[in-house]
Amino acid sequence: MPASAAGNRPEELCERLASVDSGVRLKALREIKNQIIGNRTKKLTYIKLGAVPRVAAIVGDDDSDAPLFVQSAAALGSFACGVDIGVKTVLKSGAFPHLIRILSNQDEKVVDASARSLRMIFQSKLAPKYDFLNRKDMDFILSLLNSVNENVTELAASIIAHSCQTGGEQKALSDEGVLQKLMNLLTGSINQRDASLDAFAAIFRNNSELISKFAGFDNGRKTLGPVVELLKDKYPRTRLLASVCLIVIGQASPCHLEELGVKTKLIPVLVELLEEPGQPGDDAPFTLANFVAGKEELQKLAFDANAVEKLCKFLRKTAVQPKRFEGLLLALSELCSKLEICRNQFHQLQVLHIVIDALKHDSTEVRSAACYCLRSITRSVKSLSAGDFTNETILVPLVQLLRDPSTSVQVAALGPLSNIAVDFTPRKAIFVQCGIVKEIIQLSKSMDSAPRLNAVWALRNLMFLSDKMGKESILIELTLSTLASLICDSEVSIQEQALGLVCNLLDGSIDSIEYAFAEDGKIIKAVARQVKNATNLEVCIQGMYVLSNIAAGNELHKEAVMDHIIPPVSSGGGTPIITSHLRSSDSRLRTASTWCIVNLTHPTSTDASDRIARLRNAGVIGQIKSMVNDPCLDVKFRVRTALEQCTTFGNAAS
Amino acid sequence: MPVRVLDSSPRSQISGVNQIPAIPPACTLLSVGQTFAGTQNVSSLQKDEAWRVNVRIQGCDLEHGYLCGTMEALNVPFADTPVVTFWEGEIVDIKNYTFFTGKWEATPEDDVKHWSKFQSFSPLLSQVEVDGGKSLDLSNYPFIFMRWKEQYFVNVGTDCGLTIAGFYYVCFSFSDGSINGFYYDPNSSPFQKLELKSTNEGRSGFSFSSYQLQ
Repeated sequence: MPASAAGNRPEELCERLASVDSGVRLKALREIKNQIIGNRTKKLTYIKLGAVPRVAAIVGDDDSDAPLFVQSAAALGSFACGVDIGVKTVLKSGAFPHLIRILSNQDEKVVDASARSLRMIFQSKLAPKYDFLNRKDMDFILSLLNSVNENVTELAASIIAHSCQTGGEQKALSDEGVLQKLMNLLTGSINQRDASLDAFAAIFRNNSELISKFAGFDNGRKTLGPVVELLKDKYPRTRLLASVCLIVIGQASPCHLEELGVKTKLIPVLVELLEEPGQPGDDAPFTLANFVAGKEELQKLAFDANAVEKLCKFLRKTAVQPKRFEGLLLALSELCSKLEICRNQFHQLQVLHIVIDALKHDSTEVRSAACYCLRSITRSVKSLSAGDFTNETILVPLVQLLRDPSTSVQVAALGPLSNIAVDFTPRKAIFVQCGIVKEIIQLSKSMDSAPRLNAVWALRNLMFLSDKMGKESILIELTLSTLASLICDSEVSIQEQALGLVCNLLDGSIDSIEYAFAEDGKIIKAVARQVKNATNLEVCIQGMYVLSNIAAGNELHKEAVMDHIIPPVSSGGGTPIITSHLRSSDSRLRTASTWCIVNLTHPTSTDASDRIARLRNAGVIGQIKSMVNDPCLDVKFRVRTALEQCTTFGNAAS
Repeated sequence: MPVRVLDSSPRSQISGVNQIPAIPPACTLLSVGQTFAGTQNVSSLQKDEAWRVNVRIQGCDLEHGYLCGTMEALNVPFADTPVVTFWEGEIVDIKNYTFFTGKWEATPEDDVKHWSKFQSFSPLLSQVEVDGGKSLDLSNYPFIFMRWKEQYFVNVGTDCGLTIAGFYYVCFSFSDGSINGFYYDPNSSPFQKLELKSTNEGRSGFSFSSYQLQ
């Protein structure tokens, strides 16, 4: 066997890193470096064998010569490149300060190697952060930026991109003239340009003040113009980074993006980048998703630029990398979040089954992204009305995710389930028949508030227009005690959904109102407590609608509501809670409260006149009369209805 | 509500959206889950030929001037069961839609002719004749004008012998929650009148339900 082959086994090479002969060490370093470049498995093998601390020892040895520094720095950079465990091991080995130290080595090749290696480390989130409010750190970064070495200035930009987080740091960097220095880098090498764009994004993020200052008198046409120009660069990565930078500017300071006129340009750039192989193509859908998130106008622009079609086309490709797959699903999720035309096209392109399959993907992120995508697709009332999603093909894999090991996936799966639960057709029964309700109710008892909220939300939607049997089936599993405790949950958003659920439960047939009084009135007591004590507006509004629904029942129901909204004379009176709500500055709460009065004074009820008298004595009718010209039309006309009803019984005028 | 087929050529267009800002008025009687019941006079000549109609609101998005729901026609001749259709509505809020339909074979003259059937429209007529009402502020007007267009049959096939080619000019009244409408389809009897009243399903008052999409 040739000696060289036997000597290249990882164990032997590792041994040789500690050789007293510097020539042997150098040869071993070079060999290891060559073996691990782009080879994750090899990297892990050497990490396991303890090679990293030995390489760190070489770079930290003052007696090492330039070639040893170059090779050890390059090997460390390679270990850190793209592998988190590699970064961790390199940092743990203590190599980081040594790499920083040799940045000031006399030999330019050593400096280059060190800067490149450090750049690899700074690509990872695990890299140490510099504090730009600390003078020493600031001086260090400025010294790097002022370097004539291309790799060093690029490193400086990478460190800024990685470390700059707070508004204070952004300002400090700007005050030191860093933005201008970065601007100069935009005309440098490709790497300098890309690192500079990354750093710009970090310094501008959420800082409209700084953007305005930098943009200057012409709203950035001159200062930011070069970044806009890079949208046309021939390198996809540069185009992507320029897009990210401009998106950051637009999100912090929309007027500047308008002024630069790039809002419309960005969409086609990003859509085109979807076609790119490698990192830019992987990142493009995430950037697109981030850009159009919540912005209907941009979603429409993206639709016009065929974004939905392209995303679906890539979705169809087999063997899509998990990261890219996740990005595609997220981008589709954002694009279909508001516009029915996007959802229609999604359906026409027949990719629903791919998204459904993605619910079973190995990657947690892909499973979540598939749920988000389905959540957007199921936002269509038109499709829900046709019962398009109420079938086992979609529901079964979604329900399986309610037992996913990841809580975030469970929460994400409840999104589309909540929407599908709205289903306006009798097909709704499938939720009970397939045991879905049971699974959702299980999560409504979770200690974690996120699944609890989404589970209650799903139940609320499921209860919407449910028939008697559906309501019964849900309540048997849920129990009135759990429902009462959810109404008084520690989380306000859960209280609101629980009250919405109760509202739906009591709606429909008049018999449904009895649920409020079952088990010694657990529900009405919990609701009344919230209506009286809650400080959150949405909770008060939902609570008032529940009372209003009860007040649409028979005499006993109405009387029960009266007892909760008007304090008994024995308690010394005071302003009734309904009066306080009628005086709310929020028209929705005034509307809900007025409906309650309309129902309590409804002419078909026999004891309406007694109730009107009580309401009048408590000052509620007086309050209603003062609202006859309420600025909200809905309130105004319901107030008139209430007063007409009172007049019918001859009491209103008093 | 579907009408008998006379001519079933499908027609639809994308509506132009007007960007003049206005706040669409909210009304709880037009919120999701609310039901209405009444009649549609199928023939304007034979007053006695009326179909019983139930309507349920299923979706409401005032920001986009959008409303949708189902319409159930109960005593449809030749149909074994009540016929349910899904409709989508355009709220004339000036922001998203004006009084001019601009599609579904309705000319501005057809529009004015139909809107004018509503008494509540008369104060608006002169301005609508000028620009479709683009300069009107309807945010405080006690009536909501809409166009309802049936999109598909929910419980029967398209071969049921009925057509949903036309659309309704609709007017909702804040004061009593009533809905009036006129069906427009150049191939059907003109001015078929839809009259609906808010219902409360045997309750002594009004009841509300709601859902929230995620």
